[in-house]
Order: sequence, then structure tokens, then C-alpha cells
Amino acid sequence: MDDVIAGSYVFTGERSANSYRLNKMATTLRSAETRARFQADEAGYMRAVGCSEQEIDLVRRRDWQAMMEYGASIYLLLKIGAAVGVSLPQIGAHTSGKGH
Amino acid sequence: MATVIGGIGTSHAPTIGVAWDKGQQGEPLWAPLFDGYIPARQWLEDIRPDLFLIVYNDHVNQFFFDAYPTFALGVGAVHAQADEGWGKRPLPDLPGDPDFAWHLARSLVADEFDPTICQEMALDHGVLSFLPLLTDTNWKVPVVPLAVNVIQHPIPTARRLFRLGAALRHAIETYPKDRRIVVFGTGGLTHQLHGESYGRHNEAWDNEFMDRLETDPAGLTELSIQQYMERGGTEGVEMIMWLAMRGALGGTVKRVHRNYTAPLTTGYGLLVLES
Repeated sequence: MDDVIAGSYVFTGERSANSYRLNKMATTLRSAETRARFQADEAGYMRAVGCSEQEIDLVRRRDWQAMMEYGASIYLLLKIGAAVGVSLPQIGAHTSGKGH
Repeated sequence: MATVIGGIGTSHAPTIGVAWDKGQQGEPLWAPLFDGYIPARQWLEDIRPDLFLIVYNDHVNQFFFDAYPTFALGVGAVHAQADEGWGKRPLPDLPGDPDFAWHLARSLVADEFDPTICQEMALDHGVLSFLPLLTDTNWKVPVVPLAVNVIQHPIPTARRLFRLGAALRHAIETYPKDRRIVVFGTGGLTHQLHGESYGRHNEAWDNEFMDRLETDPAGLTELSIQQYMERGGTEGVEMIMWLAMRGALGGTVKRVHRNYTAPLTTGYGLLVLES
């Protein structure tokens, strides 16, 4: 099976393993309390839950396409997006190369 | 004895829930979608189901990739709502049916399907986006949810989901209590949530899929996961779960209702079938 189909990434085991910490951080944003902590200090929160400086930088730059290249799950990017006020159409447009 | 009285195939999406909660059912963008559910809701009122068996997928809300089950069965008496990252909707928790669900677990494992058994299973829009369109939200009909991994590859084949449907039917027909059960398959239809084809939906394929689900489901099981993703998007591959519903209905079916619309990024299909 191809791992890129029609310009979209297939969420393979390799991608899941590579992006594991970033995806895991995103799953923690499923409560109002954790979202508030993340919003108050994104980098500090991400560091505390085990993210790397590279992962922190990807989120700081809101570089959704780079996060997808890194292996993130689109469903988890939606949780980061919700916490920072960015919607699916905005993330989708960014990853399509058709604007931010 | 329990019986399969019908099947529903339906798309799911968080935006349906948002639009519903905002009362946008009558707006031009949304009316073709929401109005499409009205005949299905009437059908459900007429046939008086006792139980919904819903084959759906979790969007990393109940499960995470630390341990992601290929199949997972909710056997609890109550199913909570997951916070997907934007807060919970104003909906009560859903009632389950532990007695039937444990029977289903025993029957599926005997038939060589091995779900992870979940006494707690929080549900996301994979169940809760379309359900308020089909039934009152005081949730009179209990729900047994069966989650399928369609997001982290490798995922099960279309053929395996069709066979899962046959195993669901066998389980239902060997349940000793009188229950009138509607089986749901939910997900899709075509959508692509990222990448250069973001927003693409394939109306021709969506309609071909719904046609063949009625008349040629075995043919649909011949397609590979790659072929489903080429036609319907890497996320649209969810549509294979409709084959579990179809497999539960057996040989020939009668179409009760069908609707298709695509207001935003997803091809939204709805199909109501009787055995």
C-alpha cells in the first residue's frame, strides 16, 4: 500500500510511532482544565508532558503541514487547533498549500 | 428471539452536532442534510426498535495509540460522552445493554472476531453527531457500540467488515430475548481532511457505493483499502463500516430511504434498509 495517496498521508505505524509524543500531548487536551494550562503556557505545558523542542517549535509556528509531515494524526491536530482557536478548514487549507 | 429489523448507513461529522446544537436545521446550507433524516426518524418510530447496535469509529477520544484496538465493544450500562477537545455537548449519557452486549462478546469470539471488551467507553461524534437526528435525546433506545479501527493502519479489510456483519446477525439471532434490533454502519462518505486534495469529495463514487451496498455488497468487498482511499480519501475510508451493517442484513434488502448531500468537506450519505 502507498503511504501517500492523492497527496494525503496514510497514518501508518511508522508515522504513529514518529509522532507519538506530539499526538499524546494532543490527547491530553480533552478537558477544559488541561486546555487552560496549555493556553497559559504552551511550551511549558508541552515540555512537562514530554514533548521535544522540535515538537514545541512545530506547534509554536502553527505549521500544520509540517506537523502532518512529522506524522501527526489529523484528528489530534484538530484538538490542538481547538485549543488555539484554529478550525479544520484553516488547518486543511494550510496543509493543501492553498493558504493559511 | 432477537431479530435484525433493519439497517442504517449514515455519515458522521462534528459539524452536524454543532449545527444541530445551534438550531441551524432550517438554514439553506443544512436543510438538505437535516431534512433527509426526517423519513428515517419516522421509519424508526414506526418499527419500534428495542436496541441500536452501532458499528462506528472512535477519533482518538476513547482510545489512544498507546493501545489502539482493531475492534472494541462497549458492554457498560451507560456510555458517557467524550470531550473531543472543544467541550461536551448538552446531551445526556447514553444507556447501554450489558446483557445483550456480553452475549454479543461471547458470540463474536466464538465466531473468531475478538473485540476488546470495554466496561467504560466514552462516545464521540462517531455516534453522537447523527443520533439526535434520528431519535429523541432522552435516549429511550439503548445503544451497544462496536468501535472499529479505521484510522491507524493496518486497518481491517472491507471483506472482514462484511463478515463481521454476518457474525453480528448470528449473534442477534441466537440471543434468547425478544429484541428488535437496528444495526448501524457509520462513517464516510468520501472526505479528505488534509493535504493537496483537502475538501475533495467524490459524489459519483459515493452514489455508486450506496447503489452497490444494496445490490452488490460482495463486489464492494473485493476492493482494497488502497482503492477505497484513492476513491474516497484517506479519511473517507471510514465508509467500509457500512459493510458491517449490510452484512448483518443478509441476502436481499429493501431500500426504505436514501439521501445524499455534501454541504462542507464530507459527502454525507444516509441509507435505510430492511432485510
